[in-house]
Amino acid sequence: MLTTVTIILAAAVLLVLAVALSSILGWASSAFHVPVDLRIEKINDVLPAANCGGCGYVGCNEYAEAIVNEGVDVNLCPVGGSTTSEDVGQIMGVEVVDSWPQRPVIHCVANREQRYKQSEYRAGELTCHAANMVAGIQGCPYGCLGYGDCARVCDYDALHIIDGLAIIDYEKCTGCGKCVEACPRHIISNVPFKAQRILAVTCSNKDFGNVVREMCEVGCIGCKACVRVHKGLITMKENLPHVNFDAYDPKLDLQEVQNKCPREALVWIGKPTEADLRATEDEELPRRAEADFKTTVDDAEWRG
Amino acid sequence: MEYVAQLILLVLSTALIHNYVLYYFVGICPFLGVSKRVDMAFGMGMAVTFVVTIASLLAWLFTYYVIRPGAPLATWVWVTAGGNPATVIDLSVLSYLIYIFVIASSVQFVEMYVRKFFPPLYKSFGIFLPLITTNCAILFACLEIMKNVSGVPAAEVWGVDKALVLALAAGLGFTIAIVLMAGIREELELADVPKALRGAAITLVVAGLMALAFMGFAGVDTGLAKVMIGH
Repeated sequence: MLTTVTIILAAAVLLVLAVALSSILGWASSAFHVPVDLRIEKINDVLPAANCGGCGYVGCNEYAEAIVNEGVDVNLCPVGGSTTSEDVGQIMGVEVVDSWPQRPVIHCVANREQRYKQSEYRAGELTCHAANMVAGIQGCPYGCLGYGDCARVCDYDALHIIDGLAIIDYEKCTGCGKCVEACPRHIISNVPFKAQRILAVTCSNKDFGNVVREMCEVGCIGCKACVRVHKGLITMKENLPHVNFDAYDPKLDLQEVQNKCPREALVWIGKPTEADLRATEDEELPRRAEADFKTTVDDAEWRG
Repeated sequence: MEYVAQLILLVLSTALIHNYVLYYFVGICPFLGVSKRVDMAFGMGMAVTFVVTIASLLAWLFTYYVIRPGAPLATWVWVTAGGNPATVIDLSVLSYLIYIFVIASSVQFVEMYVRKFFPPLYKSFGIFLPLITTNCAILFACLEIMKNVSGVPAAEVWGVDKALVLALAAGLGFTIAIVLMAGIREELELADVPKALRGAAITLVVAGLMALAFMGFAGVDTGLAKVMIGH
């Protein structure tokens, strides 16, 4: 008897509670309604929701708010690229000016064997950040340290250290720019990829030719051969050629420029062409076999 | 005087000696999840304090008037419906259901209210509120209150004052624990931790050592009680 009474009373209490609380919450959600610009939500749906911060805002939502409230440019999202900026532009009713996908370029191509005079850094934390504080490490004072700070921050598994050199997998890369910030030597920069393959300077050594020759097999010696071929496109600054990407046009025949380069400091970056792949098909690349032990535990995050 | 002494002892006992995180190990998810930076940890601590206070107030009201054996409201309903006044109505089975129910909806309500009228406050800790709606530390505080309201002799039943003091002390204890943890973890970023222990493992080791350190407070309350109350 008492059990039945308890059950009925309990059911009644919960029913009353449910009705009361849901009506309070229902009233509150309309009374305390905060009007949000519908466009913000629409833009949020279009943005990739990677929250990588590549646009310069904390997350996709902040960027969407900035577009609507402050009239920020719609083409800042490096991950979504031109399709996203077109969609956002449509929502905002603005024309999108040309926006090229930004992709990072590592301005160093010297792998472990190609660097001379190296004294390997083995103490303490094996990170570029730590190694960069020690003078005379890894031969070249400008080049890639090869401890993978950039590979570790990459959310897309697009950066790997191969033979002591960071290599970007452009198939996976979204251009969020995290590696650009991570590199303690600042040798990674985001550049507009106006074609699948672009010509880029892949050396950061500002020393004179004789010094570079002594420490690196492939580094730029500042011979200015490339500048002579294309004056407007390539300029010399501190013994290093710089490609002016504003003037860059994929239609230009730049193969000549690269052929002029006596070193390997001026190379094609990005997707290899079909012809390139066919040409190197039967070549065997020497790879030093080395244990590559990595667990996923190190980067594990706690989500309660 | 004895009343004040009791409250002080309650605060000490809840915040330090029987710290919710480091003694009972409740509320571990935010403790490990949001303790990477001190400012975030402090925000989380404040949010927990806020929610646990509201939850405890509501939990006390419901326990005292509806849930406990012979609660006035439940008995009134029973008698009005024509029941025998001598029957003791006991709705204790509902405690967990009602606590979760009430906490969740009150937090929702507060979130909407804060969003409308205090946008900066909402920006700073609004994101934490849904996270801790049904956090176990909050529920634990409610159950602690229930333990002292229902099923104890009439003279020892807690009033709403003690429930609120308990809630504030619980929030304070949580804030202390999570801020200390965040401070340690910020330093840990620069330490040379063995590879196998990096990340989650070393965090748990640190949490364990902190719990051991907090064990040092054990017995402080009995000693203080002797001095302040005399027994």
